[in-house]
Amino acid sequence: MNLLDIRNLSIKLLSAQTPILAVDRVSLTMKEGEVRGLVGESGSGKSLLAQAIVGVLDDKWQVDADRFHWRGIDLMRLSIDERKAIISKDVAMIFQEPMACLDPTTTIGEQLEEAVADDQLTGYFWQKKQQRTLAAANLLHKVGIKHHEVCIKSYPHQLTEALCQRVMIAMALARRPLLLIADEPTAAMESTNQGQIFRLLASLNQLKNMSILLISHDLENVTHWTNTITVMYSGQFVEAGTTQHIFNQPYHPYTRALVDSSPKANMQIPKKSRLMTLPGSIPILQHLPIGCRLGPRCPKAQKACVEAPKVKNYHGHQVSCHYSLKGSY
Amino acid sequence: MLLFTLRRFNLFLFTMVLLTILSFSLSFLFPGEQITNISGKINASPESIELIALHYGKHESILSQYWIYLNHLFKGDWGLSMTSQLPILDEIYNHLPATIELTISALFIAMIVGIPIGFIAAINHRKKSDDLILSFAMIGYSIPIFWLGLLAILIFSIQLGWLPSAGQISLLYEIKQITGIQFIDILLSDSPYKWQAFQDASSHILLPSCVVALAPATIFIRLARTSMLNVLETHYIKAAMAKGLTFRQIIYRHAIRNAMVNVIRDVGLQFANLVTLAMVTEVIFSWPGIGRWLIESIYQRDYTAIQGGLLALSCFIFLVHIFTDFVYATLNPLAREKNRGSR
Amino acid sequence: MARDNIYQEEEFPSPLVQLWFYFRQSPVVKVGFGCFIFLCLLAIFSPFISPYSPIENHLDSILLPPAWDDNGDVSYLLGTDNLGRDMLSRLIQGTSLTFGLSFIVVIISLVIGVVIGSLAALTKGMKSSFLNHFLDVILSIPSLLMAIVIVAILGPGLSNTLWAIVIVLIPQFIHITRNAVEEEFNKDYVLASRLDGANSLRILYYSIFPNIVEKLISQATLAQSAAILDIATLGFLGLGAPIPMPEWGAMLANGIDLFYIAPWTVYLPGLAILFSVVATNLVGEGMRHALKARKEN
Repeated sequence: MNLLDIRNLSIKLLSAQTPILAVDRVSLTMKEGEVRGLVGESGSGKSLLAQAIVGVLDDKWQVDADRFHWRGIDLMRLSIDERKAIISKDVAMIFQEPMACLDPTTTIGEQLEEAVADDQLTGYFWQKKQQRTLAAANLLHKVGIKHHEVCIKSYPHQLTEALCQRVMIAMALARRPLLLIADEPTAAMESTNQGQIFRLLASLNQLKNMSILLISHDLENVTHWTNTITVMYSGQFVEAGTTQHIFNQPYHPYTRALVDSSPKANMQIPKKSRLMTLPGSIPILQHLPIGCRLGPRCPKAQKACVEAPKVKNYHGHQVSCHYSLKGSY
Repeated sequence: MLLFTLRRFNLFLFTMVLLTILSFSLSFLFPGEQITNISGKINASPESIELIALHYGKHESILSQYWIYLNHLFKGDWGLSMTSQLPILDEIYNHLPATIELTISALFIAMIVGIPIGFIAAINHRKKSDDLILSFAMIGYSIPIFWLGLLAILIFSIQLGWLPSAGQISLLYEIKQITGIQFIDILLSDSPYKWQAFQDASSHILLPSCVVALAPATIFIRLARTSMLNVLETHYIKAAMAKGLTFRQIIYRHAIRNAMVNVIRDVGLQFANLVTLAMVTEVIFSWPGIGRWLIESIYQRDYTAIQGGLLALSCFIFLVHIFTDFVYATLNPLAREKNRGSR
Repeated sequence: MARDNIYQEEEFPSPLVQLWFYFRQSPVVKVGFGCFIFLCLLAIFSPFISPYSPIENHLDSILLPPAWDDNGDVSYLLGTDNLGRDMLSRLIQGTSLTFGLSFIVVIISLVIGVVIGSLAALTKGMKSSFLNHFLDVILSIPSLLMAIVIVAILGPGLSNTLWAIVIVLIPQFIHITRNAVEEEFNKDYVLASRLDGANSLRILYYSIFPNIVEKLISQATLAQSAAILDIATLGFLGLGAPIPMPEWGAMLANGIDLFYIAPWTVYLPGLAILFSVVATNLVGEGMRHALKARKEN
């Protein structure tokens, strides 16, 4: 059974004069214990999608979906409060800029303690305070912070970015979630720290069988840590499949361009030649092309591309393109 | 925190030096003889003027004159009031406590009323109640204070007869002045009518302090609203939502505290404004405070009184300012440590 | 969105046009702006449109209530005061005193404050820290007390109170200019311009002022509402405009003794002050709102 099954989710921005379709009919499925990468350039709507899943978008945004199932439960039929209860119990999210995501006037300890859900505590109310403190310390140990005494007393600005991100992960673990959504957890971090955070996430996935949705703009980096990848472009679904497929045999011209744009050690290219890039730049939200939004930049584009392509499924490798590169392999 | 305290203390010293320089130079700027202005002795014979001039070091350099002036201030010799010929310090001691009482109670009313309303407006952002509160706030800080005072007297004292319109306490009660703050004095006194006196004093202070509080309260509404709106847009509120806290928990545990921090920072600045309002209100409500005394002094060209009053009132305001700074620092861990840097 | 322009070129309106666009959005602000313009016109043309002279006594019609009252007279639309002076004419002429003068006062202190403030922003170290503390001290003295001290030095009278209010307002402008200029100076576009070899004055004039002018204008509207209230307060306390002058605050003070017999002599000037301050604040509020909206988009 799929953990998360989303079909044709759209997100509209209502505050402008004409509503803007920021995310256009994107589908996403997650299995238990899976690490899925969600890749796209900045502004491709991947963060929006994640926030829509967790339900923290404010009322400027309108979210619709054809299907939104969580472990077989149809969340669309539930009331907002019930949906929130389920999601907040099983899904946790960590954000980019961890420092800004911690309350600056409250100590780390207090913030960790309030993340511990009441039903995890046993005993009478006077014991709960102590249990919470214990739970907070345990959580810090789990994310590899040994000196929890110091950490618990500190304020967020006294810690480094990487430590804050660990604290954020600890908080996310407090509810023992089945799915962790990591929204560019290592943006603005040094690469040694990046590695640490990714390794921590990978070990959590293996030890606790926790699914992870890893959002990133860096396809190459993500391939080291994920089983499957979903690619988005400008709010549209592009391609989804196993990491090997996506990286070695991309079917979509956009994914092809993404893969080709990064240099590889064994690449056979003439000296001083340019790396492959797509012409033009990402369209701004106010002037999105109709049909396939890659259209104006796509080397394969033809007349049919003014209509949005349907998603085609080749043995679990989904692609949304009229002229997929399947035949070329 | 120690560094923070030292810095504030430093600032306080600097302010005192500046204020005394200002008040010292005023004695030159005011019309009339400088020696008369600084000592307050009018109608003195030429010989005694010569004596006073000697006393104040008139024949020495301007720096040592200032030094002598400072010495006088520290010894408690602030000169004589030109109209009553009483020592200025006594006059200030008689009048300042009433002003402290009025302004502090008004500040509390303004904060207790204004800040929660501002928070409510922010939480109901872009709804009817938000607009309603905002327009109320707009009118509140546009009303001229003297007009508001007059209307309040007309409605509550004369037409409805609920509250007295003038003075600090009914003359029937004889309360000995100990600290100068009326309420504490009443509680300290052994009069058999203690509680009646207390009630009377509270009914006297209610109307003027509400009048003073209206404009600052509306400013606090706006400050609290903007600050809350900013806080609600931050990432940590979003993260707290993703953590599964309810809206109520988020507001009480995170939002209010962070929003308060920004409001408290501005309370000190608003206090100077509040004292201005209190001065006018004292005139209208015949409140025996320092504001009324100062305004009367200017009618009577009592320059010594203006100097002394300026010094005392600004000191008081600055102390409140520093106090709010401390509250701000205890609430905000960032402020305590930022002072290591240059800004 | 249907457009007849089929080309891709976008037209980007200038910052001021954008500001005006957002400013017009709110109907309340538009009304406030209309009132503000109305008051400005009234202040300029007051001698020509007021029906009577503001100091002329009509001894045969003393303390007439406004025309809608049973005892009112339509030739004195808003009634008369205890010396038989026409309230409407006094209110109209008062516009140029209370509202018009506050405008001038704000402009003078704006110019002085901006010059000192931008010079202060260019200085660094000891001098700058001294100035900072000095401003803190000045700002912590209540404006009315400061005005009283200055009036005590200069002596009472309308022009002296105006200078007092100018001096009271200057520190605010210094403060805001200094902060705004320093904030802009830390931005990268200024650094780029400095790397091109521009000197500080050139940066100040070409790069920074266009970016902070709106902030200054919005502070100016705040200052103006404060100035109106200050002029009226000083007038009310009898330190400002001398008695026969139809300054709103002084008119109100004049009416206090007649509060019970002729309440309109107190209501009307108060309403006039309230009206002008609300109009000014609405313009300022609209300006700040438009600034914020422009920044967000």
